[in-house]
Amino acid sequence: MNALGLDIEAAVLTAVTSVDDPEYPGVSIVDLGLLEHVEVRNGIVGIGLIPTFSGCPALAMIAADVETAVLAVDGVDEVSVSWLYSPAWSPERLSQRGKEALKDKFTVAVQIGTRTPDCPLCGGPMVEQSLFGPSRCRSVHRCDACTETVEVMRG
Amino acid sequence: MSEQVTPGLRDFLLSFADDEHFIGQQHTEWIGVAPFLEEDLALASIGQDELGHAAMLYELVLDLDRGPDSDSEATDIEIDRLAYRRTDGEYRSCAFTEYPTTDWAEALVRHWIYDTFEAMRWDLVASSSYQPLANAAVRAGREETFHLRHADALIDTLSTNAEAISRLRTAVDVFLPMVGGLAGVTENEDDLVAAGVISAKSSSLHEPLRAAIAERFGIDHTDLGPTDSKPESELRRDSGRSEHFAPMISRMREVFDLDPTAIW
Repeated sequence: MNALGLDIEAAVLTAVTSVDDPEYPGVSIVDLGLLEHVEVRNGIVGIGLIPTFSGCPALAMIAADVETAVLAVDGVDEVSVSWLYSPAWSPERLSQRGKEALKDKFTVAVQIGTRTPDCPLCGGPMVEQSLFGPSRCRSVHRCDACTETVEVMRG
Repeated sequence: MSEQVTPGLRDFLLSFADDEHFIGQQHTEWIGVAPFLEEDLALASIGQDELGHAAMLYELVLDLDRGPDSDSEATDIEIDRLAYRRTDGEYRSCAFTEYPTTDWAEALVRHWIYDTFEAMRWDLVASSSYQPLANAAVRAGREETFHLRHADALIDTLSTNAEAISRLRTAVDVFLPMVGGLAGVTENEDDLVAAGVISAKSSSLHEPLRAAIAERFGIDHTDLGPTDSKPESELRRDSGRSEHFAPMISRMREVFDLDPTAIW
């Protein structure tokens, strides 16, 4: 408990959840499945994150954002954020809320396993245009029904 | 970890990291000049993955250097220093990864050969007794499947065109003499095998790699020619850098050298 009588661990978790992915403002990194563990001991906090891909250029920015957010929690004196080698990230780690936010705010679909996802705009069937989208974790699809070009987050 | 295993492990990690670093760097240099926009992004993204692998492996080297009792983590500055600031003799890259190219067929062929080799190399450590390395292999190994799918898709498409087939074949001949060195052994690999850190020596990948190249590019195995002028027993990573190393490392240090005290 901190001075305000709040559970520090819960407050730290809220702080981490408040950090958005730099490429998807409004979508929490926790909903994207990047948070692996939180440890709180005597005001010292350790956060373990996993990257979507080894080459993700946003890692330093995300770690800095998490550190700033957690340091602002009452009762936290020290924070260390680590990028972990394992487990490997996969789209199964996205929360339902994360998937909804990607769909509603960014017209981004999520591919789980090998099944091609439906169009986030009209629900129609999509065809893969290219496995290689604007970043390493995204491919490009096109909806057969509404002809929208759609980014798909994939493993 | 025993005193015999640690130096061998360090050398093995360093040669793996240096290869990833140099290949990653060279892939990213195609940004803006690859044959089409989508390829700019794809190859640069794959290059970023390789640079991510390099950073992960350099970090494992720094962990070894600070010993098992330290619980602090390597900083980005320490990783950069290891990656960019060693003396030439301390690098463990090879002619294959040091070779510069502005020819797209060569870049594509090297991409395919390297990722085929890299996938085999992660397999060598997938069940490593050194747990951090086995952990790293889980994610990196999966990423290699994607990298290879990319190279294969392009080669499949190009293999329907006579000019492309001939250019790919010419490029294969450029790299064949260097694949023996790619599978060159590092220090004390026998000890590493005995300790279960790697499942077999690096040189055990030489023949499977030759066979894979022959199959992919439709070359009769007997026509493949020698892959290195030296006998296999002499293919070592500590035997000196190729003529291309010095210009490449100086190009890579160019921005650093503008202001050696800058923090990145």
